[in-house]
Amino acid sequence: MSESELSLAMPHGETMEASPFRIQSKKLVIWLFIVADAATFGAMLFAYGYLRAGSPDWVRPFAFAPTIINAMVMTLVLLTSSLTMLAAVAAAQAGRREAAVRWLGVTTLLGIGFAVLHLREWFNMFAAGWSLSANPKGGPVLFGASFFSITGLHLLHVIGGVIAMTVVALMFRRGRLDAAHVETTGLYWHFVDLVWMFVFPLVYLMNAR
Amino acid sequence: MTTPSTPGPGIKLYITVWIGLILIVASEVALTYARLPSGTLLAALLALASVEAALGLMYFMHLRYEPRLLFWCLIPPLIFVLLMLNHLWRDAHRLSTLRFPPT
Repeated sequence: MSESELSLAMPHGETMEASPFRIQSKKLVIWLFIVADAATFGAMLFAYGYLRAGSPDWVRPFAFAPTIINAMVMTLVLLTSSLTMLAAVAAAQAGRREAAVRWLGVTTLLGIGFAVLHLREWFNMFAAGWSLSANPKGGPVLFGASFFSITGLHLLHVIGGVIAMTVVALMFRRGRLDAAHVETTGLYWHFVDLVWMFVFPLVYLMNAR
Repeated sequence: MTTPSTPGPGIKLYITVWIGLILIVASEVALTYARLPSGTLLAALLALASVEAALGLMYFMHLRYEPRLLFWCLIPPLIFVLLMLNHLWRDAHRLSTLRFPPT
């Protein structure tokens, strides 16, 4: 993008200084949000590490079937949703509005699929006696606290992303938003995927029996 | 309104990266059941997750195709913050020796 495109015309013929990053402000804002949110997730994962290292009788409750298999399927769903989001962004940037909305719809459905799989796993754990403050295996209760906090925060991001994608798809279809909005929504969704790339090995695989 | 778009790679490269990410996830699971010592497993999983994150940032999030200044202003400070958090990690070992006094 040229400098002139980034310079905003002022009422009296002046121009604002161009962004040193040469990107739109909405994209810069979503990147700043992503960096701040990454630090939040980092802090939570380090806190989990503290708790785990400080608990000699830490439990490893996850069996390969069904928990690890379920988490692998969830990972595959989320990775695939990133791919479909890329297709949505590419279609939006190429001006293929209907295709972009379709791909956003597929991504939203994959996001819902991830959330359903996650909630099903949670409810199975609740049924087995796990909670934020209970450990049916007899070890430290901190496992439930850290597991549900980390995966809960991530699930909240997934649900937020699903809502955002639905709103953006509807408004983009009506021409009220442009391709840059689809791109910034895509950046958020890829970030949610990226965080899971750390949650899956650290929270699931490190606790596999 | 003109829409500035980030020139990104084509769908073929996206699919290649996607397959690469799936293979890394599969290797993480394989490593988990190779019964490695916990410390070794943690280091291996963190290294693989970092490779996944780098691939996601560079290709899916197009950071490779954005102005370099954006990368240098965002990623090194984030890594610095995370390393500072990790710097406190050693204090966790102290926790294993801390117990409430007997009543």
